[in-house]
Amino acid sequence: MNHRCMLFILIAAMVAIIPVSAAEQQTAAAQVMVTNVTLDPQVFMTDDTGTVTVEVINNGAQSVAISRVTMYDEKIRVQSRAYDTTMYLGAGNRMTFTFTVSAPVPDGIYYPVFSMDFRDAGYLRYPVKLQVQDKPLKVSILSKPDVFTGGKKEQFEVLVGNPRDNGVSGVIVYPTGEGIEASPSSIFVGMIAPDQSQKVTFSLTPHQSTILEIHVDYMNGINSHAEVIRLPIDLGKSKTRAEPILSNIQIERKGNTYSLTGDVNNAGLEVANAVVITTGDSVVPVDPYRKYVVGTLQPDDFSAFEVTFTAEGTDRVPVEVSYKDNDGNLYTTTTTIDIPLTKPGAQENGEFPIVIIAVILVCAAVIGGIVWYSWRKR
Amino acid sequence: MINLLDLLVHPERFFSRLEGKEPDLKIPAAIALAGAVVAAVAGYAQSSLFSEMLSGMGGGAGVGAFMGIMAAVGAFFGFLVIWWLVMAAIFHVISMIFKGSGTFSRTLANTGYGLLPTLIGSVITTLILFTYLPRITVPLVRNLQDASAVQKAMQELMLDPAMKEFTQVSMAISILFLVWSANIWIFGVRQARSLALKQACITVVVPVIIFILYMVYVTFSGFSMLGGA
Repeated sequence: MNHRCMLFILIAAMVAIIPVSAAEQQTAAAQVMVTNVTLDPQVFMTDDTGTVTVEVINNGAQSVAISRVTMYDEKIRVQSRAYDTTMYLGAGNRMTFTFTVSAPVPDGIYYPVFSMDFRDAGYLRYPVKLQVQDKPLKVSILSKPDVFTGGKKEQFEVLVGNPRDNGVSGVIVYPTGEGIEASPSSIFVGMIAPDQSQKVTFSLTPHQSTILEIHVDYMNGINSHAEVIRLPIDLGKSKTRAEPILSNIQIERKGNTYSLTGDVNNAGLEVANAVVITTGDSVVPVDPYRKYVVGTLQPDDFSAFEVTFTAEGTDRVPVEVSYKDNDGNLYTTTTTIDIPLTKPGAQENGEFPIVIIAVILVCAAVIGGIVWYSWRKR
Repeated sequence: MINLLDLLVHPERFFSRLEGKEPDLKIPAAIALAGAVVAAVAGYAQSSLFSEMLSGMGGGAGVGAFMGIMAAVGAFFGFLVIWWLVMAAIFHVISMIFKGSGTFSRTLANTGYGLLPTLIGSVITTLILFTYLPRITVPLVRNLQDASAVQKAMQELMLDPAMKEFTQVSMAISILFLVWSANIWIFGVRQARSLALKQACITVVVPVIIFILYMVYVTFSGFSMLGGA
């Protein structure tokens, strides 16, 4: 009888004690709250993968037993597994939980749910704000030459802007294109903060008509992204290039040798360096002026020149003017000049020469006198 | 002893001294050869204009040199033949009308003496030619096969002011010295062919005037003259 009584009392005591302990657990779990949520990247792009870190704190006086922590959402894909191991969050302690998520979704704001199940004390649900913004970096051409010239180095300015709500890192800008030399080959910009931009300058030397591509590589969190803009490069004549013009051309013939003299003017807007004038293939340059080195011609400047050549079987002489720009690129222009069909004689003044008249008159007088004399003496 | 001053100034006395002597062709030939050499020089110099005219053509230099030699040779023999042999023959033939007597060799010798003023005139015109050559504007011929282009170039050359001036000056001096030669020829032909003075004058003056008219015509019609003087 005593044993039965003792067993009854024990069971009754346990039944009385158990409800009291569950209530305490629920009270303690209520003191657990989310204190901080960190997303990396802060704003996702479509298909980006990142992490969501949730920090919780136990503000209560008792430790709380946690049976499972997870995150879920219909659209946002949670790639990491749930925290399934039972753990205790001590009084006043903090604990962080990190989940890897990806966002195969269009632009928008999503709320994946952070869920923490307590043992014997219900659960904690906390929707995490996750923004997806599919705005890439904007690349624009700030300045470029009006016309590209083959082999000539030109300045090219590019502006990279970040229209996103979060910063991007690891920004690298580099131009590419067939037959294009770029200096520097790439520029590392690094971080670009939201609504900020960065200007980069390249020196480009195209050697052929091609498509110039400006690449911008950057990181949004751990995700690599790239932007590219394409710009057709059509080689042509620079509007500001030096432009040698020949004028005041005169051709004189001395025996079989022609002497071509004239002025060369720089009608362009840039300096013409190392200006050399010679004749083309259809004639044969001869000494003393096979080539005539003018040197540097400033814009609007001019210089006289002379070249000598022989020409057989042709009535035209190609005059080649070569010069270099400041980058050392060689340019050649050819001007074809007609060889006059006459040998220039002395200018006629239209007057019969006095000396010749005098000679004729003297001869006439002498001869007349002699004839008269020879007949008078008979 | 030959007195050339007498020949130039007093030809009647000069030729009267030759009467009764055998005709000697050495001095007349020397005068004619000298005149031929001067004519050859002048011809070569004038041909340089044509060389330049052809210098714009492939191989033009070779053609020009050939033309120069041909011009010199032509002028040399042209002077000898026309001015000496032909003139003497003309005088001899005309004098036959007046029943002139005397051998052709004497006519040839006396005609040769009469070429001395022509030689002097040739030297003067040749010197003047060298002063005019640099002033003459020479048209270029690119293609010798193009007859119209060659003709046009020739016309331009003849119409060049310096060339026209030289041609007129040359003509005037040649006529003057030809008159002087004619004066000598009158007395020479008279002595060689035993003619009256009037007959000798007709014998010489008629062909000389015809030749002068020919020279004037050629000068103003733009054609080149034969011979050097």
